[in-house]
Amino acid sequence: MIEVEHLSKTYGSTPAITDVTFSVEPGEIVGFLGPNGAGKTTTMRILAGYLPASRGTAKIAGFDVHENSLAVRQRIGYLPETPPLYPEMTVEGFLHFVANIKGIPAGDRAAKVNAAIKRCNLQEKRRVIIRKLSKGYRQRVGIAQAIVHDPPAIILDEPTVGLDPRQIIEVRNLIKSLAGTHTVILSTHILPEVSMTCNRVTIINRGKVVATNTPENLMTQLTGGAGYEIEVEGEAALAKQVLQNIAGVSLVESVPVNYPRDNRAYLRVLSQPGSEPGKDIATTLIRSGFSLHEMRRVSATLEDVFLQLTTEEKNLATIEESAANEGEAA
Amino acid sequence: MGIVLSNIIAIYRRELQSYFVSPLAYAIAGVFWFIAGLFLVMILLGPDGILPAVALIDLQGQQFGVAVPPIDVPYEFIRAFLDRMGWLLLFILPILSMGLYAEERKRGTLELLATSPVTNWAVAVGKLLGVVTFFTTLILPLMVFEAIAISSSNPPLAPTIPLLGHLGLILLASAILSLGMFISSLTDSTLLSAVFTFALVILLLFVDLIAKGIGGPIGEIVGHFSLLKHYNTLIQGIFDSSALILFSSYIFLGIFLTAQSIDALRFQRQ
Repeated sequence: MIEVEHLSKTYGSTPAITDVTFSVEPGEIVGFLGPNGAGKTTTMRILAGYLPASRGTAKIAGFDVHENSLAVRQRIGYLPETPPLYPEMTVEGFLHFVANIKGIPAGDRAAKVNAAIKRCNLQEKRRVIIRKLSKGYRQRVGIAQAIVHDPPAIILDEPTVGLDPRQIIEVRNLIKSLAGTHTVILSTHILPEVSMTCNRVTIINRGKVVATNTPENLMTQLTGGAGYEIEVEGEAALAKQVLQNIAGVSLVESVPVNYPRDNRAYLRVLSQPGSEPGKDIATTLIRSGFSLHEMRRVSATLEDVFLQLTTEEKNLATIEESAANEGEAA
Repeated sequence: MGIVLSNIIAIYRRELQSYFVSPLAYAIAGVFWFIAGLFLVMILLGPDGILPAVALIDLQGQQFGVAVPPIDVPYEFIRAFLDRMGWLLLFILPILSMGLYAEERKRGTLELLATSPVTNWAVAVGKLLGVVTFFTTLILPLMVFEAIAISSSNPPLAPTIPLLGHLGLILLASAILSLGMFISSLTDSTLLSAVFTFALVILLLFVDLIAKGIGGPIGEIVGHFSLLKHYNTLIQGIFDSSALILFSSYIFLGIFLTAQSIDALRFQRQ
């Protein structure tokens, strides 16, 4: 449904995204995950036909977003970073306007607008002027305008930003309900979002795709499912240094605890894919003169994966390699 | 075609609706009507007004026993009034056109328009129609002023004069608004947009002065681009197809450039 190949975009001489390639199958929900400034919005804008790419192609439903812009625009719904709203219009009036410019015939507009209002839980606010809505409601109107014309492909740029936790859950459920009949690509920097809503995740950092997989596979593939939480007596910096040097350890970081004791270090150690350095960690720590108070195995959360992916340059290489190998195997 | 028309109407209605809830639009209307009212009083009754002038001429005629040719007061009035209006537009129109696109860009709604299956042409035409309609609404009450003057006219004034005059006024305004719309499409600052439109309008109004300075055949060609010169022809009640063509060309040029700039700016933003 959405095919992106070797997409690059430079602003002046600054590259925003470099050689981004991924695809989204019909009916899938794909998360586009990355820290702020990673190039998410740029990619979304190119997909929506708002920005042209410097190099590479993006196709939606077989149409090139640049060459067949109008055909693509008929098939997408797009929620930009800031919801595009006319503050002086009512929710209903605005959605009617959007339905009109999206090419919905006059006879079907009322039904489509009603459906979108219901889907986004805006019934109470339908006659309210958008200026008077809270940020959460505005975001929902933004989503409503992206789905009002029932487009086959939906592009959502940070759909849950600015919402309170209850609204976030509602929006996530809404997005999940779109699966199957719609193809959705959503960008986010919030990790739990992708694991909760998406079939697949594409992780992007500094304009480059770092990995694409299902959330579950990413976790197992990248961490081997293993990490350790350790409490030792001794100096944290020193302990970190010692742990870093152990073969098979990819990342050592401090873990915040509520009531830390004096002279204790609380650390999380992530292991490299396929390795199990637990034994070495214990022996090395004790040999180096630390007393080990606690050590337990933890399975990595997506958050760890993300951190690992985006902070460790060394690690990136191995992931890219394994991704490439996987690609060859397939 | 039907869809394009429906799109244009949607854009037009939204644009028009935004004026009716905009405090700025009401402020403009208020100031415009107030100043127009002042003009009316000044033209008719002011120290240099038409009525004192006519009275003076009549008086002189009686004193010297010479038969003075009658002065067509309503005609003079309409001409003077529309002429002043042309100047007032200079200040009003850049404010009307400044937000057309700059505001959309600032609010991010341009992203909605640019990613919807509407052509840039349809958006530009819809917007221009909207702002021209608003402007026409602005000048409607002024017709009351003129009706007062014309109703007292004997023999009755030929309807072509006020008709052509107002057609000229609306065409002049449309031409300036169209170019202002283009300037507005270049920036997300309404202030910058107004300032540049103001500068452009001054330039186009004074082109014939510049042309006189240049002189010769080139000066003559440049002079043809003058908005005010052609406007003055129309408000004298002279139907001049070259004026219509000039105004239409400016309108078309503005729409064309706007559509192009929205396309082009998508290629090199940020």
